Amino acid sequence: MRLRLGPLLLVVPMLASLLAVSLYPVLRTIWLAFRNTSLAAQGDRFTGLANARRLASDSHFWKAWRQTLEFTAATTIAETLLGLVIALALYKRFRGRGFVRAAVLVPWAIPTVVTARTFSWLFDQGGLVNYLLVKTHLVGQPVNFLGSTTLALPTLMAADIWKTTPFMALLLLAGLQTIPPGLDEAARIDGASSWSYFWRVRLPLLMPTLLVASLLRALDAFRVFDLPYVVTGGGPASSTETMSTYAYNVLFSGLEIGYGSAIATSMFITEVLIACAFGVFIVRRVRQEG
Amino acid sequence: MAVRSRPDGSPLSRRNFVKGAGAVMAAAAAAPALAACGSGGTGVATSGGRTTITFASAKFFAQESIGQIVDEYNNSQRLVSVQFQELPTPSQSTEVHQQLVQSLSRRDGSIDVFTGDIIWISEFAGAGWSAPLDSYFGPSVKAQYFPGVIDACTYAGAMHALPWFIDAGMLYYRKDLLAAAGVAVPASWSELVAGAQKLLGAGKVSDGYNWQAKQAEVLVCDLVEFIGSNGGSILAPDGKTVTIAEPNAVQAVQLMVDTFSKDKITPKSVLSWDEVPSELPFLGGKAAFLRNWSFVWNDAQNKSSSAVAGKVGVAKLPAFPGGKSTACLGGYQFGMNASSTKKSAAIDFLTWMSSPATQLKWATQLGLAPSRPSVYKQPELAKVNPFMVSLQDIFTGGTPRPKTPKYSQISLAIQAGVSAALATGEVASNLSSTKAQIEQIIG
Repeated sequence: MRLRLGPLLLVVPMLASLLAVSLYPVLRTIWLAFRNTSLAAQGDRFTGLANARRLASDSHFWKAWRQTLEFTAATTIAETLLGLVIALALYKRFRGRGFVRAAVLVPWAIPTVVTARTFSWLFDQGGLVNYLLVKTHLVGQPVNFLGSTTLALPTLMAADIWKTTPFMALLLLAGLQTIPPGLDEAARIDGASSWSYFWRVRLPLLMPTLLVASLLRALDAFRVFDLPYVVTGGGPASSTETMSTYAYNVLFSGLEIGYGSAIATSMFITEVLIACAFGVFIVRRVRQEG
Repeated sequence: MAVRSRPDGSPLSRRNFVKGAGAVMAAAAAAPALAACGSGGTGVATSGGRTTITFASAKFFAQESIGQIVDEYNNSQRLVSVQFQELPTPSQSTEVHQQLVQSLSRRDGSIDVFTGDIIWISEFAGAGWSAPLDSYFGPSVKAQYFPGVIDACTYAGAMHALPWFIDAGMLYYRKDLLAAAGVAVPASWSELVAGAQKLLGAGKVSDGYNWQAKQAEVLVCDLVEFIGSNGGSILAPDGKTVTIAEPNAVQAVQLMVDTFSKDKITPKSVLSWDEVPSELPFLGGKAAFLRNWSFVWNDAQNKSSSAVAGKVGVAKLPAFPGGKSTACLGGYQFGMNASSTKKSAAIDFLTWMSSPATQLKWATQLGLAPSRPSVYKQPELAKVNPFMVSLQDIFTGGTPRPKTPKYSQISLAIQAGVSAALATGEVASNLSSTKAQIEQIIG
């Protein structure tokens, strides 16, 4: 086949800009991960695997890594399930559906920093949540949500779930709308109950959308930064430190560009692994259908 | 980021700004007089003959304010012309730090004079970026400033920064409640605990003593104050020996734990509080005592958002028996780039910027507290900002945070370690592992 120059030239600007803004920073970060570059200590030498070795023995890093994975898993699962429920409800025809569909998106439209501040006021010991819990006698003493090493991370998860579920609901609603309405009718004529229609027809057809939406969500959740940065600063006792807050501290407070890039690279690797795991599911799904 | 947390303690607020702006206009009217007295003599044409230097500073209040004071200097003499390069605001101190480091590490003299957070002085000095200033400012000049701020400006025996303005941790208390309950302003921690418990027991307040324990820079500030008030420290004066796990430090951190676990004068959510969350209950009239920076004073007097206007007093923080009240120092100080090729012009500018007359301007027009005790005696300051006059006593106990070139890394280790000590209550073991980490960082 003869290579035509014209179309190729048209693609060049797009390719070049993609390489410049996407590939170059990634490669540069990986390159820096093997150096001891530091603005503060003025080093800039190739140090091989020194950063990787330091990472391996950095307990703070592994704590952040584990917590970030927990955060990612919990929020992705909860947001997918809740999003599915909301999407199914919004799919049904009812009065004021347009308004409700718009209203559901409000949390998603609020900047995360604002969400973070709101949640830190709501869940403070003197905050509204504790006030209601005490008034309704569900607890005797105000719960220390944000100052406790066991509850701080779940509270941040709740904030993320509140904020991002609408996004999942919207994606899944779009998926539901691609299912031909005739299938519903056909299933009912064949005597299928709503329950089995959902499990045998709707869910399998929705699965590709569901998997892609959760993949997007998981990759996004893994980078969580604003919530812990604003609400807890990674504390108490580093129990809400995430990969992003740790990398930020090392890179921008400590100005250890080399080691910080090693942390960023490990984030990149973890994200690739998460994407691969989802990829396997998605490919299997597509094969079954094909 | 719109988060109002100020570990450096810069007293920023809209009200202050408005007040400052009014004063600036008054100063602008007086500027010609200053210019006239500076230019007396020579009468030579000014263009061409002036040495141009660059001054980089974080943005305080508004560009016009710092810029106007720089202009006053430019108009006051004919030898040096200063170009002002504005950096981000101090609330974005990470960005300010980064820009300064990038500029200074090039060693090209692109900036001659700069201002930086008090905690960066050792880093800049250790890297050889900031010039030692002892040959320009001798012991008689140093004696004109608060000893704590001179200490903070000194690294390895040499002065690497000239003081600009300071802030420090202080104790806010409810004058009305203390008087009604017959509680004296506490000088010791045990008096504070007793007083807070008395007011809590009487149902006057729901919080006894609010401070800051969020895993953030402010935790290091509170720590310096608790440990310092028991005669301890985080690093020994040599900058190498780690003293954070000594018995007096352990005892001080145990007191921090006790405030919310044993004495119950502090809500447990203190572990997620920085400056503003700890301030809000106090402004709402729900807290008896509060540790915070000087900006709280203006917030407390604002009747529209504060239930305690006119009912607040300020004092030095309490101390342990045999210890001394300690106030963690914040604020920005002047530095000179070691690679500057125009050092004598830079020194002339610095001398003017830190002079008593200019410090009075910073105080009255921008609300920045003077680093020279003598300025607090100026009647003009008492007229414009009587609260600031009362801070002189507090600033006398000003203590710097650990002085080491690797402060930013050490601060992160302290934040994580002390937060763990507070959250788990296992003080000694967490402090000794923090000690090990700091030793590893210092190397």
